[in-house]
Parts: sequence; structure tokens; C-alpha cells
Amino acid sequence: MSEMLKEEWKKEIEIKIDDVCMSFKDNSGNDVQALNHINLAIHKGEFISLLGPSGCGKTTLLRTIADLLEPTTGKVRISGMTPKEIRLQQKFGIVFQSPVLFEWRTVKKNVELPLEIMYWSKEERSKQADKMLELVGLTKFADHYPKQLSGGMQQRVGIARAFGIKPNILLMDEPFSALDEFTKEKLHDDLLKMWRETNKTVIFVTHNIQEAVYLSDKVCVLSPHPGRLSAVVDIDLERPRNIRMKESQHFTDLVAKVRNSFEGGSL
Amino acid sequence: MIKRKKNVFVRFITNPKVQPFLSVILPVALGLFIFILWQTQVLHKLLHTDTFTLPLPSQINQIIGDNIPKIITNVKSTVLVAVIGLTIGSLIGYLIAVIATVFPKWGAGGLSIVAAFNAIPIVALAPVMTNWTKDVSKDASVRSMVAKILVVMIVSIATMSVNAYRGLNDLPVFSLDLMKSYAAKRRIVFLKLRLPNSVPYIFTALRVGVPSSVISAIVSEYFAEYITGVGRQIRENIVIAQYATAWAYIAVACIIGISMYCILMIFEGILLRNRRS
Repeated sequence: MSEMLKEEWKKEIEIKIDDVCMSFKDNSGNDVQALNHINLAIHKGEFISLLGPSGCGKTTLLRTIADLLEPTTGKVRISGMTPKEIRLQQKFGIVFQSPVLFEWRTVKKNVELPLEIMYWSKEERSKQADKMLELVGLTKFADHYPKQLSGGMQQRVGIARAFGIKPNILLMDEPFSALDEFTKEKLHDDLLKMWRETNKTVIFVTHNIQEAVYLSDKVCVLSPHPGRLSAVVDIDLERPRNIRMKESQHFTDLVAKVRNSFEGGSL
Repeated sequence: MIKRKKNVFVRFITNPKVQPFLSVILPVALGLFIFILWQTQVLHKLLHTDTFTLPLPSQINQIIGDNIPKIITNVKSTVLVAVIGLTIGSLIGYLIAVIATVFPKWGAGGLSIVAAFNAIPIVALAPVMTNWTKDVSKDASVRSMVAKILVVMIVSIATMSVNAYRGLNDLPVFSLDLMKSYAAKRRIVFLKLRLPNSVPYIFTALRVGVPSSVISAIVSEYFAEYITGVGRQIRENIVIAQYATAWAYIAVACIIGISMYCILMIFEGILLRNRRS
């Protein structure tokens, strides 16, 4: 795909979050404002991070987009449809904090799971799973069981499974938070490569500033109590990104800019 | 010098390669040691008893050898009761767990009532079942069999339903969210997630259920109308003071329990081999 066409795509708003509020009752019966009047527009093909400390509502916002939670007030529209309609069309790929692999299925069968639910034919399923496992570099482990794999490899299977259904939108909820730094850096580059090749819209939840800056086009900074969007920082690092960029002054400046945009200053 | 010897010993017993062997050898050694004390009558002196009440292992072995056809008939009867009762009971128990999962509102509550069956002593249940099944058949052997199977069944239902319910509902974190994101219907969630997730829990239930089914079968034989089974033979022989023969059947009862448990372990090893790291 040419760069120009890609730019064209990016102009189209895909996800519109319109004045979304979310409140819970906590154990002692008090109202907790998890999300407070969130407004956000996400363009097609963008890589967006939702960044913030625990309790800022970033996961809640992601789950609202995924139709795993319903907002108390306000609405989310995705290509003009409700999240529920998009979910029922099976257009969401989700990667959670843990890989959520089914231990009774081989690696390949885990990747095939959503395709089975979507009634793909056996041959198509197998072909697609092979292709995805190749993308994440796990072809050799297709017939292994999840317990035989390291944490990083398990999370790769989760990513292969999410990309396998050809989703429009990829939602990732702190997918690398349990991994060591080396594995994490490798997976960052793998993820960016897959994103570049497939042109998905990615919403990536994290509490790691460097991670958010390195991966994203835009970093949405959320602050807690109540959970609110305090800034959206454009990340104009050139693409494709590489690990050397983390040593550049520009990267450091962006990280500082993001850090300074948390409301209440130091965390 | 002494310190160094100890180190070698500690290193040997904590060696991961040696430990599996030790975990077999040590219990076997203890068993052998008790057998030697028993056979040499040291045990009798310690317990202030005699070889009439507590026959020697060699005597017991002799009696087993002399009565093989009769023992096999009784073993068949006991094993049949245990296996049929366990199978039907486990199936019903699993079905109850499925129903409780499908109707979660009253499912968990209903299950606690079923779990209460676990608290009923077999000794109380057996005579009641014998009484209830009086009119099932004109043949005493048949109605006794039914009574005994019912006892084993009731005991098995409780164990299986409680464990299977856990297996159908204690799902991996986020797995329900994952299925929801695929817009998977309840039936699909059940077939592709809940059902396979419950398999290890079925084995947990059977680990308890297999020994308890043998015990229930043996105890219910005590109260059955028709005289057959390993348990009944223990009772009959004690009544006529044939302690050696009674002990032979006690030994056979142990062997039944241990063999059935071993068979279960083999099945578990095959079916769950991929679930362990």
C-alpha cells in the first residue's frame, strides 16, 4: 500500500467516543466515577495508546469500546454502528493481559478457535492458522500445547489468534505487562510489523510511557479519580520505528511531554 | 569428615533424578518392614494378640491361593456394584452440574442440597435402600444388587456434581470475555470452553469417587439380603470366627481399591497429559 493511500485512510474517523461516563458502586456503596466525560475520535488504521496509572479507567474505556461493558451515559460509535453490532459481526480482535490460551488445544488449534466459532471451513482454518503462526514466528510450535511454551511465546499465540480473524479493530489490554524487557522489545517490533502489514486500527492499553510512545501514533493520557482524558499527544516519530529511536533526543522529549501531561503533575 | 558424608547424603536425597524413585521406594520399604514384623510375630507381641485373631501374611496368602474361584465370584459382584453405581452416579452428578450451570440463578443453591447427600453415612443409607427395593424383583440377588448400586450411586452423585460444577464454572480469567468478543453463543461457550475445562475436575471427583464407591459397595453388602461380595464375606467369616478367611477378603478388598485407583490414574495420565507443563 502506498504511503499516500495510507494517509488517506487515516483521515477517516473509525471510532467515535462521545461523552462517555461510567460509574460503579464500590463495596461500601459509594459511587465511583471510572470514566468522566470522555470524548475521543480514532482514525482508521491508527495506532492509539490509552496510557495511565492504575485506576484511571483505561481498561474500562477499552472494554466499553469492545462491548464488554456498557457506558452509564454517552455512546461509542464504530463506523456508524454500535460496539455491540461490531462485536456480533466478529470484527474485534482482543488480546488480554494474560494469553487466555485453552490448555487442551494445541497452539494451532488455539489460533483456529475463533475461526471455528465463525464457521470457517477446515482447510481455510488450517491455512489461516499456519499463516498467522508464521507471522509470529511460531510455525515450529504449532503442535505444542500452551504449557510447553514460555510466557512470551504464549502471548504471541494470543496475538496470532487476534490477527487471525481479520478484525477491523485490534484491542490490546496491557498485553506485554507480564513479560520481561527483552521479550517485550521483540514483541513490540513484531506487533508493529504485523500492524503495518495489515493496516488495522489498534487501541493499546498500557501503563508504560516508553512503550506507549514507541508504539503509537497518538498517546491518550488518562488521569485517575475520576478517570478522565487529560491530553492527547501526537507522536511524530518516523515509521517504521526501530529500537535505536529510543536513544534519540526526540524520543526522550516526547516521553517527557507525555509524562508532564498527567494532571496533578508527578504521580 | 562426618560433615562431608552428610552433604553427600543430603545431595543424594534431594537430587531431582533420585526423588521419584525415593517416593516409591520409601513407602514400599515401610510396607515391607511392617510385613516382616507381622510375619515374625513381633507385631503380635506389640499388639498383645495372637495368630488366630491376626493371622500371619503367609496364612492369608495360603487361603487366597486355595479359594481363588470363590474369591473371583465375590470380587466380580463387588466390582460390578462399585463400577455400575459409580458410572450411573457420576453421569447423574455431571448432569446436575450441567443443569445448575445452565440455570445459574438456582443452580448453586440446588447444588448445596445435593452436596448434603455427601454427609449421609453409608451405614444409614444401606439398610434403607434394602428396604426400599423389596419389591423391585422376585429374585433376591437382583433386588440386593439394585439396593447396593443405589447406595454407591447416591454417594457418587454428590462428589461428581460438586466438582463438575466447579469445572464448568471456574474458567480461565478473561476466557468468557474472549468468547463474548467472538460473539460465541451459549451453546458454543459450553462445548468449546466449559466442557473441556471440566475434564480435570471430573478426574478430581473420580479420585474420591473410585475408592468411596468400593467402600460403599462393601459396606452395603453387609446389609444386603443376598449373601455375596467381598464385604459380605468379611462379615460372614468374622461371625463364624474364621479370622484368617476374613483377613484374606480384607486383603482382596484392598487390592480391588488399589487396582481401580491405578486404572483411573492411567486414564488420567493419558487424557490429561497435555495439561501439565
